[in-house]
Amino acid sequence: MSVDSVPANREFAKQIGITFPLLSDFKRTVVKDYGVFNEEQGFGNRATFLIDKEGIIRHIDEGNVAIDPSTVVEACNVLQRKKTSQ
Amino acid sequence: MYRRSLISLLLLAVLSVVVLAQQTPPVKTHLKVGDTAPDFTLRATDGKTYKLSDFKGKKNVVLAIYVLAFTGG
Repeated sequence: MSVDSVPANREFAKQIGITFPLLSDFKRTVVKDYGVFNEEQGFGNRATFLIDKEGIIRHIDEGNVAIDPSTVVEACNVLQRKKTSQ
Repeated sequence: MYRRSLISLLLLAVLSVVVLAQQTPPVKTHLKVGDTAPDFTLRATDGKTYKLSDFKGKKNVVLAIYVLAFTGG
C-alpha cells in the first residue's frame, strides 16, 4: 500500500513485475489512522503491520527495518505455529 | 585561542547534530502490538476494493506501506 494513485501503482507494478494487487491510499486516511503519515513530505513512512484473523496487530516494523521482510515473515510463522498448536 | 576555537567547533558540531535530528523527525506510530488494527477500505491495482474487516476470521493480513511508487522500495 502507498499513497500513490491506482494508475501510478498499476504502472509501478507493471515495471517491477508485481503480480499481487497494490492498494492505493490516495486520500492519506489510512496512513494517518496507522500513525505513519509524514506531513512534511505528504506520504506514508515505510512500515509493515501484521494483523491477525481477529484484527489485532501482532507485529510492527517501522522505518528502514521494514525494508527487510524477514522479521515479519518470522512473525507470520509464529502466528501459524500458534494456530496449529491450539 | 586554540582552545576557544576547539570549543566553538565542538559546540557547532553538537548543534548541527541537534538541528539535523530535528529536521528529520522519525514519525512513530501510536499503534502498538495488541491494538485493534484500524479498518480501511482501499482500491487496488486489480480494480477491486479491499476492506480489512472482510478478512476477519478468515486470514492474517500483512499491511506493507511503501513510501512511493517508482522508488527503491
